[in-house]
Amino acid sequence: METVKKRMSVQQVLTNYTLEIIIVFLAVVLSFISDYFFTVNNLLNMLRNIALQGVIAFGMTIVIVSGELDLSISSSVALTGVLIGLVGGKLEDAGIMPLEYGAVVGIVVALIVSILVGVANGWLITRFKIPAMIVTLAMQNILYGIAAVISKGFPIITFPSWYSYIGSGRLFGVIPVPVIVLLIAFLITYFMLGFTKFGRATFASGGNAEAARLSGINVTKTKIIGLVVIQICCVISGIMLSSQVMSGTFSFAKGWEMNAIASVIIGGASIAGGIGNMRGTLLGIIFIGILTNGMTLLNVNDYVQYIVRGGLMIFAVLLSTFKNSQRA
Amino acid sequence: MSVLQTQNISKQYPGTLALDRVSVQFESGKIHALIGKNGSGKSTLINIFSGAVQPTSGKMLLDDKEIAFKRPSEAQSMGIATVYQELSLIPGMSVAENIFIGRLPMKGPAVNWKLARKMAKQLLDELEIDISPDETVNHLSAWQCQMIEIAKAMSLQPKVLQLDEPTSSLAQSEVESLFRIIRKLKEKDVIILYITHKLQELWNIADTCTVLRDGKLIGTKQMAELDRRELIKMMFGAVEIKSMPSDLKYSDEVVLKVENLSDGRKFSNVNFELHKGEILGIAGMLGVGRTELLSCIFGSQRAKSGSVYLNGKKIENPTPEKMNKLGVAMTQEDRKRIGVNLNGSIADNLCYASLDRLGKGTVVDRKIEKQYVSRQIRDLEIKVADPRYFVSSLSGGNQQKVVVGNWLNTEPQIILLDEPSRGIDVNAKQQIFQIIWDEARKGISCVMVSTELEELLETCHRILIMRNGGLDKEVLPENITVEDLYAICMGE
Repeated sequence: METVKKRMSVQQVLTNYTLEIIIVFLAVVLSFISDYFFTVNNLLNMLRNIALQGVIAFGMTIVIVSGELDLSISSSVALTGVLIGLVGGKLEDAGIMPLEYGAVVGIVVALIVSILVGVANGWLITRFKIPAMIVTLAMQNILYGIAAVISKGFPIITFPSWYSYIGSGRLFGVIPVPVIVLLIAFLITYFMLGFTKFGRATFASGGNAEAARLSGINVTKTKIIGLVVIQICCVISGIMLSSQVMSGTFSFAKGWEMNAIASVIIGGASIAGGIGNMRGTLLGIIFIGILTNGMTLLNVNDYVQYIVRGGLMIFAVLLSTFKNSQRA
Repeated sequence: MSVLQTQNISKQYPGTLALDRVSVQFESGKIHALIGKNGSGKSTLINIFSGAVQPTSGKMLLDDKEIAFKRPSEAQSMGIATVYQELSLIPGMSVAENIFIGRLPMKGPAVNWKLARKMAKQLLDELEIDISPDETVNHLSAWQCQMIEIAKAMSLQPKVLQLDEPTSSLAQSEVESLFRIIRKLKEKDVIILYITHKLQELWNIADTCTVLRDGKLIGTKQMAELDRRELIKMMFGAVEIKSMPSDLKYSDEVVLKVENLSDGRKFSNVNFELHKGEILGIAGMLGVGRTELLSCIFGSQRAKSGSVYLNGKKIENPTPEKMNKLGVAMTQEDRKRIGVNLNGSIADNLCYASLDRLGKGTVVDRKIEKQYVSRQIRDLEIKVADPRYFVSSLSGGNQQKVVVGNWLNTEPQIILLDEPSRGIDVNAKQQIFQIIWDEARKGISCVMVSTELEELLETCHRILIMRNGGLDKEVLPENITVEDLYAICMGE
């Protein structure tokens, strides 16, 4: 059997590597249109730009595979920056510690808050059987309000100088730190979903929650862990965002849930749960990144870009619905 | 008076002849029961009447006029109404709206609510259904919904009314209320076809009984002249009962004890003991609460009162997760809905119950996982091309083996099997029984529930009978015939 290597038919290649092919095609087209596209600088920039939302897309993959959804992420990202700046600033004002250390305490506070938010989301969804869409949409508003109230509506700018390295620094002076973070986040979530008991339980819970429960899997715990993981992703993303602009503002990251969900769905996940993978999501992120980068290079109007991305998401959902119906 | 007739009607499906030259005749003003075990062809016959299925050959006559339907709407317009098991009411709408949905009386562009309400009221009064037309359907109980379904069908003024398992989801007290309405319908010049699995109901509601077996008409009898044994003979024919292998013995050691268990709805004060290595059957007619009993023991459903003891130790608040850890397994009856994850691979589905065993810590040990998967595929002879394929690519019998394998991987002490042979072919059934016997030889105890009572006679050491809301009789397979067993289950 080993010696007989079956060659894949053209159709199989097309269906198994659809995204890769489209990405390569896009890249080739763009490099013909713009000389700047295929420069190291532009590609690294593009990766840096997708890193912030990409990290969240990884968390979103886990949540969507578990059969849930998290729309609260944009506010969580914004709240992170506000919290870190505020905690650092207050500690310095009170003379407890300098800003250099205060920011670290701020990060810990943001992490604790994110875990609480994730547990709250999960508890409301699983305990009271309220659809995730409603719970997390409400949470988005609550967190947005909290961020605005505690920052009194102003940008918070009390960050130490080392803080800017996270978002704007370059490793060896070349690779943007956010790209490294994106890579590490990918490896961790890839491992979580593909190689752990939690990952198996996530697929089972999203694929058939009742069958999973009847097999002795703790579905509630599994879903809550997923919703906590995505909130932690939001903190990581929020740190990078506030670091890039050295400011925490309550209105940051509006509409990011759209890109995160789009990448996951384009990556082949089923919005109904139980199907999805990190590799696909990574490709989805890169695809949206190239598309955005290309449109910017071609000076496509910002608002037109919205139309393209929205249309793309509908197209991706149609494609995944079609693929999944073919299987059944 | 009207008459519905078939002449030599046949239906050929690829590989099976579902109906074989069936000629029957039903008159109005009577309730005609149509019965037969699974696969007898009775569903095919109702579906032909309702227009959902087209016969391969043969004729259908309504009042001596030949009829043929391409789709259900044609059957409806010819006066054949069918009330299906799954209710079709819209929960958020009123009773009147539901009855006249799609054909509400109009006044110009708006619905004439006053008239709709009046028409509904009149219809309900006529059928002596005591429900307000303004009531919202989600406020009604299951049997009231069933009555509204009947009212809706009757509003079409049908010549034929087909009722498909109308009592399947009802409690005993509700059944009588429904029967009162159905008997009332006899006064109208309607042919009533009544399909049920609950044989004990027949003497209570039906006037005649038509029995199908393996697609053939066995006969039509007046209920008044039919006794239970004769009906069972008609339904099952001569059944050959194989006995279990003689080397299967069980010990005196009690592994599971159930004490005064009640679910608060279908059964109360159930008591029994299960011994090490024993295969215990639970027999009973459909809907007596067999699944609920197993679910209460397994903890997937909360019992109202009573206790469950494992090896003499009382289990507080059982849940599937807890019972799994304690060595109790349960295979579900409704395989596709709650037994397997159709979105998952065969390998995944074989390891869900044993996730905790796949290596220490949080990481799945792929080596152990592979062992677990291949050992079940080998031992249970699951026919798979590749365990990474979706479980939905397997046949029913092989899917059932995956369900069993998922639990055998937990190395359970007790296995609760809810209808393990449902929807699988004869060969696969024998293989499943063989697996149960093999496990019993290893000292594993089983509780098995089945609608096919002859299977229990073949597989079990001991059979408990569930009826009248409790477990009230014990029989040994070697001392009883299948006819007697059915008769006892029906309450004789």
